[in-house]
Amino acid sequence: MARKGLLITPDICIGCRACQVACKEWNQLPASKTKNNGTHENPPDLDANNFNRIRFIETSDAKGVKWLFVSHRCMHCGEPACVQICPVGALIKDKDTGIVYYDKNKCIACHACKSACPFDIPRYDQGGKGKIAKCHLCIDRVRAGLIPACAKTCPTGAIKYGDRDALIKEAKAKGFKLYGETDLGGLGVVFALKDSPKVYNLAENPRISESVAFWGSVLRTLVGRSGSTTSTFVKYLAHKSTDK
Amino acid sequence: MELTRRGFLKISTGALLLSSIGLNLEPAKAYAAELRTKGAKETTTVCPYCSVGCSIIVSVKDGKVINTEGDPDSPINEGALCPKGASIYQMANNPYRLTEPLYRAPGATQWKKISWEEALDRIAKLTKKTRDKYFITKNEKGQVVNRVDAIAHVGSAALDVEECYILQKLMRSLGLVYIEHQARI
Repeated sequence: MARKGLLITPDICIGCRACQVACKEWNQLPASKTKNNGTHENPPDLDANNFNRIRFIETSDAKGVKWLFVSHRCMHCGEPACVQICPVGALIKDKDTGIVYYDKNKCIACHACKSACPFDIPRYDQGGKGKIAKCHLCIDRVRAGLIPACAKTCPTGAIKYGDRDALIKEAKAKGFKLYGETDLGGLGVVFALKDSPKVYNLAENPRISESVAFWGSVLRTLVGRSGSTTSTFVKYLAHKSTDK
Repeated sequence: MELTRRGFLKISTGALLLSSIGLNLEPAKAYAAELRTKGAKETTTVCPYCSVGCSIIVSVKDGKVINTEGDPDSPINEGALCPKGASIYQMANNPYRLTEPLYRAPGATQWKKISWEEALDRIAKLTKKTRDKYFITKNEKGQVVNRVDAIAHVGSAALDVEECYILQKLMRSLGLVYIEHQARI
């Protein structure tokens, strides 16, 4: 199977947030407390019950006001820092599709992945103290030949799912600037933009810290040695490893 | 934490050596969750919310709705749904929906729970009273019209086609002409 991905085109997104609803419905996630921050953006941040959300960005330049809707979720990196640092192999990059997903049964809630992630995506259940939760690109659906819930429901085609190469080719043919084509081994979630990534609140030149791979092997060695995946020491080190 | 390139290489070589002496660093075997809708019965329905008429696949297992999503075979929505249509699962599964009639008396500030009998009796009584009072048999030209202008019906977006049919029959037989549905507004 060729590497799969999403192509997100903020310029044709209407901010309806059907993707958020479909994600919650498929993954059976409960509602979160919303907050009025003066825009229609809600919930205020990603959390264990919100794997994706739309950022509402208001900017203005000489041409006038721009209202941009940008999908905020796991980017499914080609070289995922979270997979490199995870001491127990709870985070996995799927060999066939390139999807970065996770096994909650293995997660020891050490939270090493949070700071390793260049996009600050991993969130944790139990009010932020528990195990990993993030977008897994509906890998259960993908393996069954279905498309991810968000891409399926999107009424305008702002979130498109397919073979990553084909999506990139299509966006290039339409004259879009691409974000994530080559960064971090190529992101699984590629953005088709008309302006610089900064305008869309996307991290410019995202990078993985050099120490990530090192700490990953240290933590895995320790886990392998002690045989205990809940070792307090491992958790302590994991926290330490990500102090910046 | 900060590491120099040299220091990093030193320590990572150490870690590599450690791992080469029998410690398993292989990524764990892939964990494949089974598709939630596997073995469910799938039927299609039409979204009740607006006049577009998107088609929705409803998955049912053990008599319970377990999933709803857009029907890709529909030429209208081609599998897509708006946020409201995408939330239709909650029409069947939502603990916050009302399960019994609530009544707020004229001038009262609080809602109170009443029985279905009480609610339906009251609705029937008031409907009959208003209808009898305002029923128009003939218009100014003397034509037979048999209608009631004093009652209007609005709703309901959560009804299926069969329920709408029965509702229409009831309202027409009462003589109503102001019959509206959210899907037309």
